[in-house]
Amino acid sequence: MDKIILPERPDWRETAKELGFTFADMHGEPYWDESSAYRFDLRQIEDDIEDPSTQLHAMCREAVETIVGSEDLMGRMGIPDRHRDLVADSWRRNEPEIYGRFDLAYDGTGPAKLLEYNADTPTSLYESAAFQWRWLEDQIAAGALPADADQFNRIHEALVERFRALFDPGTDLHFTAIADNPEDYATVEAMGWAAREAGMGAHYSDLDKIGVSPDGQFVDAEDRVIGTLFKLYPWEDLLQDDYADRIAGSGCLFLEPAWKALLSNKGILPVLWQMFEGHPNLLPAFFADDVADALAANGRPLRHVAASFDRAADALRRAHVVKPIFSREGAGVRIVEAGDVIEASENPDYDSHPRIVQGFQPLPDFGGFHPVIGAWVVGHECVGMGVREDRARITQDLSRFKPHFIAD
Amino acid sequence: MRKRSRTVALAIVGAASFAVAGCRDEQVDAQAFPDLASCQAAAGEAGMFTPEQCEQAFAEAETLHVEAAPRYDSLAVCEEQHGEGNCGSEAEQVQNGGSGSIFMPLLAGYLIGSMLGRAGGGMAASQPMYRNGSGGFTNATRTSNFSANQGRASMSSQQFVRPATTAGKAPMSRATAASRGGFGRTGGSRGFGG
Repeated sequence: MDKIILPERPDWRETAKELGFTFADMHGEPYWDESSAYRFDLRQIEDDIEDPSTQLHAMCREAVETIVGSEDLMGRMGIPDRHRDLVADSWRRNEPEIYGRFDLAYDGTGPAKLLEYNADTPTSLYESAAFQWRWLEDQIAAGALPADADQFNRIHEALVERFRALFDPGTDLHFTAIADNPEDYATVEAMGWAAREAGMGAHYSDLDKIGVSPDGQFVDAEDRVIGTLFKLYPWEDLLQDDYADRIAGSGCLFLEPAWKALLSNKGILPVLWQMFEGHPNLLPAFFADDVADALAANGRPLRHVAASFDRAADALRRAHVVKPIFSREGAGVRIVEAGDVIEASENPDYDSHPRIVQGFQPLPDFGGFHPVIGAWVVGHECVGMGVREDRARITQDLSRFKPHFIAD
Repeated sequence: MRKRSRTVALAIVGAASFAVAGCRDEQVDAQAFPDLASCQAAAGEAGMFTPEQCEQAFAEAETLHVEAAPRYDSLAVCEEQHGEGNCGSEAEQVQNGGSGSIFMPLLAGYLIGSMLGRAGGGMAASQPMYRNGSGGFTNATRTSNFSANQGRASMSSQQFVRPATTAGKAPMSRATAASRGGFGRTGGSRGFGG
C-alpha cells in the first residue's frame, strides 16, 4: 500500500458536473481528490481486506443472534423498550440485508482493525461504486495507469445480483432520503440504478412526503402503497419518529432491516470483543459504564468484564477512544492517551448517548493525511472498497475521498 | 480474476428525474366497454380484442368486482358515493355468502388493457368500472375517474394494478394518505452519511 502522485484528469470537474456528482467539492474544499491515489497489491486486497471483512460480517450476524436473545444487551445498545420486538422479529424473519461499510484501520501490513460498522446508512456509495470506477477506466485509457491495473470494486454488479436474488422480476421498490441532501441522495440513486438494472421498478420519494393509509400501510408522495422501502435514514432516528409505532403493522419490508440497528451501533464493538476476544481484526472494546472507573482512577471494572478488562487494561490505559454508540462522521469521539484527551470532535450532537471505549489504533500517516479503508459488504460478502483520508485523526465530514487501484 | 465491475451506473439524474429516467410507468392502450356485448361487437369490426379475449376479460373483471368492489355499511352511503340507483347489497351481487347489510356499487363497465394475456405479478388486464355519482366512472380503488365507460385511451399500466381484496393493498396500488410527514423529524435535515 502506498500513495502515488498521478496527473489529474484535465476535465474531471466537468465530468463530475455532467454526471450530477455535485458534491465533488464540499464546504469549499475538494471532497473528491485525484491528485494522488492509493495503490494496493492483490494480496493486500484479498487477504487483508476482502476476506477479513466477509468474516467480520459473519461474526456480526452471530452477534445479532446473541443480542436479540438478551433484554440486557438490547437495552445497552439503546434500543427503545417498545421497539425491541420489531428489531428481534426482523432478524427472526430473516429480513435480508443489502449493504454496509466497515471502516478499517490498515497500513498495508498486519491485520486491518475494525473501527466501526456503518451497517445501516453508509454513504459514499456513488463515489466508491461509480465515480472511482470511471476514474480508473479513464486513467488506463490515458496511459496514466498500466492496462492491467484493477480496482477492488465489484460494488455495482454485486448490488444488481443481490436485488435479483431477493426479489421477483418487476417488483416495485421505493427509495427515500431526506429532501435536498445531494450526498445522501447520490447513495440512494446509485442503489436505485442497481435495482433497476436488476429488473425492478425503482421509485423515489422524499422522506417527509411518506404518508400512512387508513389501513396502516405506508404510501409514497404519489399515494402509491409502499411494499419495500430502502431508506437512507438511520433506525435510531426512525424509532423516535411519529410513525415509529406504525412500522410493525405496515406490511412494508424495510431495507436495511431493523436488525441493522444493532450493527450500525458502536455497542456492537464490545459485544464482538466479548464473543471473539483476541480476533486479529478486532480492537478491545467495552461499554464505558463497565470500565469508566477503572480507566479514570484506580477503580475496578464491573465484575462480568473484569478478566477481559485486565487482559486489555495496559493497552487501553496507554490510549483509547471513547465513542457514543450512535454517532456519525466522527461526532462525539474523543481520543484519550495516558489519561489526557488529545483529540476530540467539536460536534456535540451525540453527547446524550451511551458510550463505548475502544483500544486506540492510530491511522497510518501518508503525507500528513490519515486514510481509512471503507470495505463494502453487499449481502454477506465484501465486494469493494473506498478510501477516505483526513488531516485530523478522527475521520469527519470534511474527509476526502481518494481513488485506489490494484497493481502488483 | 477481475476485481471490478464490468459496467456501472454513472449518472445521478436527481430526485426530480429519478422516476422519469428509467421508470416512467409503462403506457398501455386500453379500451372501456359498458358490457360484454359491446366488446364483442367491436371485436367484429377488427377491434383491439378478439371475442374470446372479451370473454376472458369480462370474467376477470367480474371476479375483481366480487373481490374488490368498494364496500359500504349502508345503501345511503354507497349512493352518496356512486349516485342514486347505482348500488345494491352484497347478497344481490355475490353468489353464495354475500351479506344483505353490506352494499357495493353495481358494475357499470369494464376497462381492458392491451396487456391481456401477459398480465400477472399483481396486475390484472381488466378492471371493473363503477359510476362515481358525478356523471363519470371510477375504478375499484376509487383512485381514478373516467369520463365515460366506453372509448380508447393510452393510460398508465398502474391503472391495472390488481386492486386489493383486503386491507393489505398491493404495492403501487393507490391509497389515500390518512396522514403524512411522520418520518424524518428526529433526524432533522442533516445528512446521514456515515
